[in-house]
Amino acid sequence: MIMAKNGIRSFIVKIIDHSLTPYTVATLILFFMLLPIYWMLITSFKQSTEVFLSPPTYIPQLITLENYIFSLSVKGPILVYLRNSFVIAILTTAIATISAVFTAYGLSQYKYKGSNIVLALYIFTRTIPPLSMLIPFYILFSYLGWINTLQSVIIYTTYMSYPLMVWMLKSFFDSFPRELIDAALIDGCSRTSAIFRVVLPVSATAIGAMAIISFMWSWNEFLAPLLFVHDDALKPITVGLFYFVGDEVTEWHRMCAAGMIAVVPSMIFFLLAQRYIVKGLTTGAVKF
Amino acid sequence: MSRISDPRYGVLLTIPGLILLFLLILFPLFYLFYVSFLRYDNIHPIIFYGFKNYEYVVGDRLFLPTLIRTIIFCLGSTALTIAMGLVLALCLNRITKLSTLFRSAMILCWAVPVVLSGFIWRWMFNPAYGVIPDILMKLHLTSEPLNIFYDPFTSMIGVIFSYSWINIPFITILILARLQSIPTNLYDAAKIDGADTLHIFKYISLPLAKDSILVGTFIIAMFSFRTIDSIISMTPQGGIGKSTYVLGYYLLDYLTRVFNFGVSAAVGVIILTVSVSIGIMLIRYMVK
Repeated sequence: MIMAKNGIRSFIVKIIDHSLTPYTVATLILFFMLLPIYWMLITSFKQSTEVFLSPPTYIPQLITLENYIFSLSVKGPILVYLRNSFVIAILTTAIATISAVFTAYGLSQYKYKGSNIVLALYIFTRTIPPLSMLIPFYILFSYLGWINTLQSVIIYTTYMSYPLMVWMLKSFFDSFPRELIDAALIDGCSRTSAIFRVVLPVSATAIGAMAIISFMWSWNEFLAPLLFVHDDALKPITVGLFYFVGDEVTEWHRMCAAGMIAVVPSMIFFLLAQRYIVKGLTTGAVKF
Repeated sequence: MSRISDPRYGVLLTIPGLILLFLLILFPLFYLFYVSFLRYDNIHPIIFYGFKNYEYVVGDRLFLPTLIRTIIFCLGSTALTIAMGLVLALCLNRITKLSTLFRSAMILCWAVPVVLSGFIWRWMFNPAYGVIPDILMKLHLTSEPLNIFYDPFTSMIGVIFSYSWINIPFITILILARLQSIPTNLYDAAKIDGADTLHIFKYISLPLAKDSILVGTFIIAMFSFRTIDSIISMTPQGGIGKSTYVLGYYLLDYLTRVFNFGVSAAVGVIILTVSVSIGIMLIRYMVK
């Protein structure tokens, strides 16, 4: 019995230890991780007749750009959706980044009595479900008459991005070389000009990468525009995808083309800034 | 040299952020609690209502099944995400050739908006034209095309898949970062002492990566308890027999269909309480 158990164990160990095992398992998992992206990609290049073939084809028989042309044509609303997404994301990122840089820098480099409580408040904010916060924002925006405006969405996405930015930037500034700041101060810089002349230029790349995260968060936001915006001309792409999804017929090929257009910029960003994004998100999540 | 002391300068730097924090987070949060104690149904005049909204929610026969579904979704997606993330991280940790390629491929789906993930998976699960029913048929795992949204149990599995898919890269990166910081001489020492791979995993990798696994578990649990994006795009009305009708649906229905903001806010507070409790556990664990 014991022999059999040991036999099984050494057999398992032998399999795990084999140098090809991690490659095989990772490939298998990655196959399922990439399948949705691949499926979206090929569906977006298929003709409408081929999309509704059963069984489905795994490689498009005829590659067509018709879906992309339709999505990007002036007749379709996708360009408007994309513009709205862009306006929301860029304004949110600008507001969140600019305010978060100073907050995080202050909390990191010039600690004061109670600054830890302030930091704790920001961390606590991350645990608040955005879903619950939709209600007060919805009622307040109704009072203000801001329903069906882009600023309501921008305020909401800023609420989501800003604490995250403070959190990530704070841990970044904690590891910022203090000597650089001190050297600038000795050279006669004021504390404020030290920020603009030394700290910001040195940390521009990292701040940029974190701004990308904020951009993507706002770009991907769905619930707030779903609730706050009813006008087709103001919808961002996440809500706009519903344009293709009907009760009876869904134009999956066009939805996939619009989805690809929505997702490719973020993917490129992600691959380019991968190192910084990974660092920003993991330090932000693991330590503070 | 400077007119004000360093701590005061810190206060000055954080004041704009604090105003933003108050306006965007603390005030709406307070307002959420306030509304949950009002009779705010857009029919009767608004009056103070005590705990009656909470009594209504708890007494509603729809509430308990909805809560249970939410917990099933939360546990299911957390378990799937952590399991896949852990396996993938262990593999990637051993992969030396083409490691950049593997990592970049792994990270790609992180950029996909959650709502789009729901659409893609819904399309892939399409019984007539989808890829997954076809693959299952080709592997002879099912005799007829799988119609995942035709059955309450499989519907839930479907939404768990589409939500986990987005989160696996984050967990993988979190665990991988920890695994890579384990000094290799620990493994060597263990091997000299006669430990096999399973021993090393149980006594070295797992205990040392426990922190990031737990942190990841808390984060995914917190997020999946309150998510709704991918569920909406996958099963628009809450699925067959309300099988994927989670608390987020309940909250949104009272906000946008019943127009009873009081009840909606009470549900919001309940979701908030659960989410913040998980968050506080996480923060306490991380600070310890």
